[in-house]
Amino acid sequence: MSAPQDVGSAAMVRLVAGRELSARLRDKNFIISSVFILVLLLGTLGLQVVLNSGSEETRVGLVGEAPGLEEALAAQGQALGVDVVVSRLDDEAAARTAIEDGEVDGVLVADGGQGPELLVEQSADGSLQAVVQGAVGQVAVAEQLAAAGVTGLDVPEVTVTALDPDADRDGQRVVVAIIGTGLLYGLLILFGQFVAQGVVEEKSSRVVELLLSSMKPWQLLAGKILGLGLLGLAQIVVIAVVGVAGALAFDLVDIPGELIGTAVSVVLWFVLAYALYASIFAVAASLVSRQEDLGTVIMPTTLVLVAGFIVGIQAAANPDGTLAVVTSFIPGLSPLVMPVRQAAGEVAAWEVGLAVVLAAVAVALVVRVGGRVYAASLLRTGGKTKLREALRAERV
Amino acid sequence: MLEFDELYKAYGPNRVLEGVSFRVRPGSMFGFCGSNGAGKTTTMRIAMGLARADAGEVRWQGRPLDQAVRRRIGYMPEERGLYPKMKVGEQVAYFARLHGLDRAAARRAADEWVEVLGLGPRRGDAVEKLSLGNQQRVQLAAALVSRPEVLILDEPFSGLDPIGVDSLAEALLGQVRQGVPVVFSSHQLDLVERLCDSVGILARGRMVATGTVDELRQREAGQLLRVVVPDAAPGWASGLPGVRVVSEQAGDTVLELKADTDDQAVLAAALTTGRVAHFAWQQPTLVELFREAVAATTPQEVAA
Repeated sequence: MSAPQDVGSAAMVRLVAGRELSARLRDKNFIISSVFILVLLLGTLGLQVVLNSGSEETRVGLVGEAPGLEEALAAQGQALGVDVVVSRLDDEAAARTAIEDGEVDGVLVADGGQGPELLVEQSADGSLQAVVQGAVGQVAVAEQLAAAGVTGLDVPEVTVTALDPDADRDGQRVVVAIIGTGLLYGLLILFGQFVAQGVVEEKSSRVVELLLSSMKPWQLLAGKILGLGLLGLAQIVVIAVVGVAGALAFDLVDIPGELIGTAVSVVLWFVLAYALYASIFAVAASLVSRQEDLGTVIMPTTLVLVAGFIVGIQAAANPDGTLAVVTSFIPGLSPLVMPVRQAAGEVAAWEVGLAVVLAAVAVALVVRVGGRVYAASLLRTGGKTKLREALRAERV
Repeated sequence: MLEFDELYKAYGPNRVLEGVSFRVRPGSMFGFCGSNGAGKTTTMRIAMGLARADAGEVRWQGRPLDQAVRRRIGYMPEERGLYPKMKVGEQVAYFARLHGLDRAAARRAADEWVEVLGLGPRRGDAVEKLSLGNQQRVQLAAALVSRPEVLILDEPFSGLDPIGVDSLAEALLGQVRQGVPVVFSSHQLDLVERLCDSVGILARGRMVATGTVDELRQREAGQLLRVVVPDAAPGWASGLPGVRVVSEQAGDTVLELKADTDDQAVLAAALTTGRVAHFAWQQPTLVELFREAVAATTPQEVAA
């Protein structure tokens, strides 16, 4: 057996982080919540695919010799934004069978005798009737014009000029940013809770005394935040990759490049936001000794997160409003607002940079002050430690 | 040598330690006794870096304890603490790693100690599913698993049944035989008397007595003689010169003799009362020594 080695700080932090990871990976609640999020994501993607496909396809059967009618049906479909599939049928009997079997939505019988007839199972939906009516009308007009000797009719084509060609894309970008912010918010709450619960668990089970006899408080804190943070990062990356890949594979968005950009910025903001919130949650949790008391100490921080989320959603509608602009710089709120502003409006690079720097400064500050509080309150069991006491307490 | 040198500690106006000093030789067991609130736990926590002494220091092999040295100390806190949801084997291995064993060595050592302490079949169970006695064993395994150079155990025997006490005592004696100095606190003074090479009695933040149990006995001022005379009238010994009656109950008399008093004269006096059922010098038990030592400091404390 090899002799015990001295353990460096980095190794100690790694050990703590490793324990957090393996403990969480076996935690049923964590596994269930992860699976749930993924299923939700895949479900949403699937739903989009179903809604997008099968949506506007109209299958029309055609009985009888009617020159030009098939082309007219296709043209009408294009004009109305409906995919029209025309299939030729031999006679009315075949038409009835096709309708009963659901192979076609309706059959146009135009065998010259009486006027054209549209057979449907129960009723013709709007687009089917419009397509057929339009096509029949077009053919009839053409025939009558031809009969009257008018040919080579020159109909001017209308040119379409879009005033805001990106409106659709902007919309998609904002939707992606809102989904990202929601994800960020959910994961921050989830992992903040994990950190807080972990800290209280160590305090309430008193294992912290044993831990601190072999490591410094900051090593314990860093290991815990790092371990859970890696897990959170892995989760948000998986969600982002699955979401983006799914959206691209099923062709749900028109802006693949910007979708990826927004996803990346959400992931990066998660890192900063997590560092800040996890530290605050850990420090707050260190003030109490029982899980029951946890709610009251982490409530204020949770409320800030909720506020950030609401402002973020609001920023999607009004990205250049004062509220959105100001909050996109405030550490704690910025991770939930800035990505939305980035996606929805024009944000200068320096603005993003400033928000990042401010957030990083806040993290450093919280870690520094919070680390003191954490170290001082960790060994105070029984009841709730006041923040002021913890700050004033001796450092062991 | 493990040295506790003049430790002082006050929490606000409450002076908990006022110059606590003692030494523990490698390969010896030191029993740390004292009433509740005497400062035993504070002393141990200072050694483990969980509280900071206002003055004084703890040294191992001449070197003040720091984080690196403390990693080679096995510690059992008064408030037992383990991760409730972590499995026994993994938990012990984790603490081994925190004390510097590599992964393979930690797993081997954990398996070994889990087996030695009779927890083999429970290795894969979460700690919270174990009985209190078994949790205590896991706690001990966590303290012993890294092959510590020093053991500091706060009330290791509390909450154990007699069989648990025996197996823990055996484990500790095994460590002592390997040259590890062991310090443990306990209220079970019979146990301390049986196991420890030396004893320290702490009262109100001061060491009122340290030494081997025999040394403490010799240091006792008077000598106690127990005489059982069933037929004697009450107060039969009160007139004897150089003799003080400590207690008397239905002929069972404890006497304190001055240094130059002849015990044979006392025996002669006893024989005049009738049958003498018992006549022997009494070895004060640690309990009596403890009472004596703690009682002696009390008036002083009241005055202070």
